[in-house]
Amino acid sequence: MPPVIDETKCIHCGKCADICPLSVFFFRREERAVPEVRYPDECWHCNACGLDCPQGAVSLQIPLNYMLLRIEASQLKQTKE
Amino acid sequence: MIPVKKHLSTDVLVVGGGIAGLSAAISARASGVGVLIAEKANTLRSGSGATGNDHFLCYIPEKHGPDVSVIVKELHQSMMGASQDVPLSRRFLEKSFDIVKLWHSWGINMRIDDDWTFMGHAFPGRPRIFLKYEGDDQKPILTREAKKAGADILNHHMIVDLFRTRDGIAGALALDVSGEAPSFAVIRAKCVILATGSGNRLYTSRNTPGTLFNTGLCPGCTASAQAQAWRIGATLVNMEQPVRHAGPRYFTRVGKATWIGIYRYPDGRLLGPFVTKATKELGDITSDVWNSSFSDVMHNGTGPAYIDCSDVPAEDLAFMRRAMASEGLTGLVNYMDEQGIDPARHAMEFGQFEPQLMGHGVQIDINGETDVPGLFAAGDAIGNCRADLGGAAVYGWICGEEAAKRAAACELVPEEEAEKDAWLAERMAHYSSFHERASRHGWQEVNRCLQQIMSDYANVGPHHVRSENLLNAGLKYLADMRALAGTQMAAPDAHTLMRAIETLDLMDCGEIIMHAARERRETRGMHIRSDFTFTNPLLNDKFLTIRRERGKPVTAWRDKLTA
Repeated sequence: MPPVIDETKCIHCGKCADICPLSVFFFRREERAVPEVRYPDECWHCNACGLDCPQGAVSLQIPLNYMLLRIEASQLKQTKE
Repeated sequence: MIPVKKHLSTDVLVVGGGIAGLSAAISARASGVGVLIAEKANTLRSGSGATGNDHFLCYIPEKHGPDVSVIVKELHQSMMGASQDVPLSRRFLEKSFDIVKLWHSWGINMRIDDDWTFMGHAFPGRPRIFLKYEGDDQKPILTREAKKAGADILNHHMIVDLFRTRDGIAGALALDVSGEAPSFAVIRAKCVILATGSGNRLYTSRNTPGTLFNTGLCPGCTASAQAQAWRIGATLVNMEQPVRHAGPRYFTRVGKATWIGIYRYPDGRLLGPFVTKATKELGDITSDVWNSSFSDVMHNGTGPAYIDCSDVPAEDLAFMRRAMASEGLTGLVNYMDEQGIDPARHAMEFGQFEPQLMGHGVQIDINGETDVPGLFAAGDAIGNCRADLGGAAVYGWICGEEAAKRAAACELVPEEEAEKDAWLAERMAHYSSFHERASRHGWQEVNRCLQQIMSDYANVGPHHVRSENLLNAGLKYLADMRALAGTQMAAPDAHTLMRAIETLDLMDCGEIIMHAARERRETRGMHIRSDFTFTNPLLNDKFLTIRRERGKPVTAWRDKLTA
């Protein structure tokens, strides 16, 4: 579920739904409700919603399989020395 | 049948409101003609430049000296140099500083540290061609300028096909995706500028094979310009040549050159001999020189390759963090913060991503016009002048000017003619059939199958081959898939119909790639033919073009323009 909307902060302005490059949200202005994340699998995780939300109510939940592969850099030096 | 709810007309229709499209719109308006931008998302945050970029390829005489050919040469020797017609890259470079200055005047900071500063993809001792800048808000700013210039913007409208007369372009068909129920808009235009960006979702994701949207560039960019231009008979070029970006795993994101560090093997040895200590001025360019490095070290078991930023001065790491925001990587940076990943302490594994279409596509002339009169193209979708964001901004501008000139001197196709256009009627019926069908087979199944076929039968190097046999099999299976999709893919609402049409565009591109790859009977770059293992010197400085004539692909070789 990539974008996560904090319902206590959302003011139902629909900005996230309007600007999302992948149109993952569904929002009907007349309903005055929290936008629905209808197409979570189509999120690019670009964070446009997070950047543009006037209330700071949207954050990204990165899928577990997007885990960033890393090691302690000091390990590279130990083996080097 | 999905209803036609709008009939619109304009002098210049811009397809896609990314960097190239907005630039084209502003310049065409400056020439005094009417402009309409059709964008399937919202120009404020759409396309691969949605949340930023931090390097703009350009020529600045006061920094590079008076001779542009030095920078032309550098561009041609870079990773993106192979598919360039020289006069086009020269025109792009000569115009580039004007656009840089315009962007700066609009509030996009092009002068970090109060100077024109060149960094990234830089070779020691060689001229630098990427201007470092702060592009975080480039899309809202360019949108504001387009509106200020008087361009009309139609957000949430995806152009799905072009239509033409014998004499040239006549307009386009748009799908309104602003609500749940789809509708069409027929837009007549004197000129059309294609600016739909790169082509992603063609090959199985290298990092996360189970996902369709974990791509380096925007997964909403699906090579629609190439597919639409192809369908009305315009010529494409260099389509068989892929691009593969590289960067972190498994969160796929371009921006390799924004990272400041040194690539190392797990035992600490340097991957390449070029740079031993990275600074913001000069990072490691091993993977620019040795493009397949990250894949090679996995294939031969000496990897994985890591980027080690731990020796980089603290102030340069702070600079890198700021640059990542400019590059549009806040999603990645926030995630690293949440996970406690610190480049000063952690070495990140880097890998090559899956192939994509970028800088290989619609063939344009020096004015940005295709061989369909009045049809122009700019940005990542063009096939003979690649310069990424800078190229999009500058060739977009050139297309806008040239399209405006042409539009001022020609007439719109009459409304009655558009209404009885057989091609438009056929396309509307085709797209409507997916919407009207009761079936549970979604576009995702078709897109995944396309990726399977492309990855099995038209894959690219290193460590994958193409051959006459494989490509013939791939074309057969793609035709089978097309038949299945044609009768069984369903799109119950506007959003899914948009994705379904993107997938159809990608299938066209897959087919074009395979036909062109079959014709290139040699090995060159990442196009590796097991049945033609040599690089044929007779094909140096030759480009392969492809177009559709009476439903069949027609390939031809032409000389690369060098003068």
